[in-house]
Amino acid sequence: MSRYQSGDHDAAHLLIGRVTPLLHRYFLIHAADRRYADDLVQETWMRIHKARHTHRRGEPVLPWIFAIARHTSLDAYRKARRIEVHERQVDSLPERPPWNPGSAANGPDLDVMLGSLPKTQREVIVMLKILGMTIEEAARATSSSAGSVKQKAFRAYKKLREVLSLGMNVR
Amino acid sequence: MTPDEIDRILAEAAKRASPDDGAPDAMVRRAEDAILADLRPVRPLASAWVFTMVLVAIFLAFAAVSALVLGLHGLAALDAAQIALILPALLCAAWLAAAACVREMSPAAGPRLDIIALALAAAGFPILFALVFHGYSSGDLVKEGVPCLVTGLCVAIPTGLTIALIFRRGFVLAWSAAGLAAGVLSGLAGLGTLELHCANLKAIHVIIWHVGVVLVSGLFGFGSGRIVDSYRANSAR
Repeated sequence: MSRYQSGDHDAAHLLIGRVTPLLHRYFLIHAADRRYADDLVQETWMRIHKARHTHRRGEPVLPWIFAIARHTSLDAYRKARRIEVHERQVDSLPERPPWNPGSAANGPDLDVMLGSLPKTQREVIVMLKILGMTIEEAARATSSSAGSVKQKAFRAYKKLREVLSLGMNVR
Repeated sequence: MTPDEIDRILAEAAKRASPDDGAPDAMVRRAEDAILADLRPVRPLASAWVFTMVLVAIFLAFAAVSALVLGLHGLAALDAAQIALILPALLCAAWLAAAACVREMSPAAGPRLDIIALALAAAGFPILFALVFHGYSSGDLVKEGVPCLVTGLCVAIPTGLTIALIFRRGFVLAWSAAGLAAGVLSGLAGLGTLELHCANLKAIHVIIWHVGVVLVSGLFGFGSGRIVDSYRANSAR
């Protein structure tokens, strides 16, 4: 990161190559609308580039990047909500099928599992379990304390246990 | 079901949802095209404590200069014990508000402190003033209080604008939180000025009108930040 800050092309190339797949994964799983994942990755990179001077040497890079990604996603969500208010629905959308354990050959759908969680808990689970961040890193990325992240993860696990147990019983 | 089992199910579901075959090359190239074309060296942000010191210095400068210009009638009216309690408390609150501002200046800088700074100012100062001052008669409360509120806000506004200039050096993600922190710090500068200038030591006057400067300034900062956040969300892709 410090080489990227000092204008090293190779370092920037390496950073983009390593981080873009993580960002893509984050937006694919987390973004309200997956169609825009590509655009969100691009927008996040523009913001990272603009903010690159704010990363302090010695501090972890991943939480810094995902703090920016998180806000890019929030801004996109807010904008989508604002547009939705002015949109008129002309046709009813098909209802999303509930998780049917019998038909899910390979296990439950990630959307269904994460969809059962409140937004803040979902965010913590995505960071900890999908992106492989530590509790401290997730706390930094979400501007909260490690204790708060642990509590959200604990509640999320409790809820996931309920959802999954329900599915197992039906199966 | 154990946490390990849940972890395994989550990992498998995540793999199915987004196979780990990396981002499309086109996406990586697009990001490189946008960034490598404009890759100039940048000077990293100074450490957090430097900015905290700068912001506390701004607070002290605005509070002290304004009080000197208006007259130190309040300081003359306070006894030594009141000065020993109020001025350090103001400095501590300003330090906390400055730290809250600095945390908003760069991404992932730590847990938010803006709400704590506001809560401390909104609850701590009334308690402190209730302990060190007396007098709860409400005669001429509004007539005596409005000039103090206006004076405090007249100090808070330029302080807030100066803090906003400091914010430009960083990269603020949540302007509403940054605005709240800056508003509280600016309001504390207004409160500091009033403690040094206003010779009305009635507890009810100080609690409502002097502390009111911090609350009004904080809310104004929060509201301004919300407007900036909305504008940025609208201009997002």
